[in-house]
Amino acid sequence: MVGRDRFDILTFSCLLGCVLILGLLLLGGQESKSSVAAIDKALEQQIAYQARVNFLQNLYRPVEDLRLKGQASAALLKLDELARKYPQEAHGEILRGEILLERDAVKQAIDHFVRAVRLNGDYVDQANPLTRRNEIQHLVDTQLPLFTRRARSNPQSQPLQKTLTGLYYLQSRLAGGCE
Amino acid sequence: MNLFDRQTLIVIVSGLSLGILGVLLVLWGNPQNSGICVSCFLENSAGALGLHDNLRMQYLRPELIGFVLGAVVAASIGREFKSRGGSAPLPRLLAGIFLIVGCAVFIGCPIKMFLRFVAGDLTTLTAISGLVAGVWLGLKGLAAGVHFGGSKRQTGGAGVWVPLGFLLLLAFILWPPAFLLQSTRGSAAQAAPVLIALAVGLLLGGLAQRSRFCVTGSIRDSLLMGYRTPLLWGLLAFLFRGFVTSLLTGQFQPGFYGQPGAHLDLLWSFLGMLLVGLISVLIGGCPFRQLIKSGEGDADAGLVVIGMFLGAGLVQSWQIAGTTAGVGLNGKVAVMAGLIFVLINMLLYRERTD
Repeated sequence: MVGRDRFDILTFSCLLGCVLILGLLLLGGQESKSSVAAIDKALEQQIAYQARVNFLQNLYRPVEDLRLKGQASAALLKLDELARKYPQEAHGEILRGEILLERDAVKQAIDHFVRAVRLNGDYVDQANPLTRRNEIQHLVDTQLPLFTRRARSNPQSQPLQKTLTGLYYLQSRLAGGCE
Repeated sequence: MNLFDRQTLIVIVSGLSLGILGVLLVLWGNPQNSGICVSCFLENSAGALGLHDNLRMQYLRPELIGFVLGAVVAASIGREFKSRGGSAPLPRLLAGIFLIVGCAVFIGCPIKMFLRFVAGDLTTLTAISGLVAGVWLGLKGLAAGVHFGGSKRQTGGAGVWVPLGFLLLLAFILWPPAFLLQSTRGSAAQAAPVLIALAVGLLLGGLAQRSRFCVTGSIRDSLLMGYRTPLLWGLLAFLFRGFVTSLLTGQFQPGFYGQPGAHLDLLWSFLGMLLVGLISVLIGGCPFRQLIKSGEGDADAGLVVIGMFLGAGLVQSWQIAGTTAGVGLNGKVAVMAGLIFVLINMLLYRERTD
């Protein structure tokens, strides 16, 4: 074991120098004097997400327009056309679910809501431009007791069990949790 | 055993604090039933650092930083901060990855598992069985001579690097750099105020360091010593306080279906937690305990923590993590890979007499 020799002094001086330079870099970085501006990734993500929301709203506007005019069948045909182009897009599933619900095709509507939420959890978020939380909550609140009763009286019915499982899934997502 | 000796009391206080604060953090903003969840926090934090691209799981959780730094402070005050390590570093790093695999498939670490249980989530019953079975099997392994070898006192301060890393993460919270990501939607967007979360983390980290509180350690000691172990009383205090607080705050919703952040792939919940139990016994503590030990200067635990961070990135990037919809093929494959990893290590690290 050697005491503090020239090597130690030199190493310590270099360390001090590096710490000073690091400090200056960090302080200088605050003023953005660097030639390469740091990319604010969080802001980039927000911009990309906003662009996605706008894109979806534009893409599905014809469907919404047809729906408002009461032309549900034409809206569903338009959704078929868009689904061929964007097969994994949750927004189409949500709109299909809403239209089917308006036409009292509850079981099919539930299937589409489940598929949509599985593809994109944004639809059950409270503060989200795409949110359908209230509609889904209402669907679960009204349909879960009905389907539970029906499934109990028909325990062998696979389609009923599938719908019930879908409603439990939506209930779980509405309840929150970390995923 | 005297319930009123100093060590037992501090363990009970730790358990009570974990129970009450674990539930209260939900009221203060954390996701439902996830007031404290080491694996969820790691997945969120890994996302914030850019280790995965799930936009709904990116937030540098102050609680996580508080756990480690609280342990550093408590260990320093108690003159227990000692750099030690050198025991099977690479297996420990991989064990850290597989710890998070097991937790992610179940959706939660052992602490969250019990928080979910006291909030009435009955799907956790299989996971609890899995964890107990894993700890029991791990104990059988230890009895048969399986161990990674003891850590040794290390010169050169190997144990300071993980605490310093967490200090850097604290600086990221105070002065967020441009590359730090933060979800604006999903569960990672739900968070208790930073200062409260940090204070809770520091308090629990300090208490856990003083008490050596550990969920799998409690189960292990209970299997070995019955009711005589203080850790069992800590676990019971945690469960009791968590249950009462859930009840008082209206978070107790008993049932099997529609539970927050829960799935019905019960076999995989069982196997996921079996994996966590097994690994925890082999490496000497649950994910929470590994964080605390890393704050005491344990470089072996520090490597587990680094492994857990890597695992947290991987379970999201490779879609290993379970979701409310269930456990996908990747998750099932990863759990089996984890069990194979543990079994191989049980063969390789067995001390044989002949």
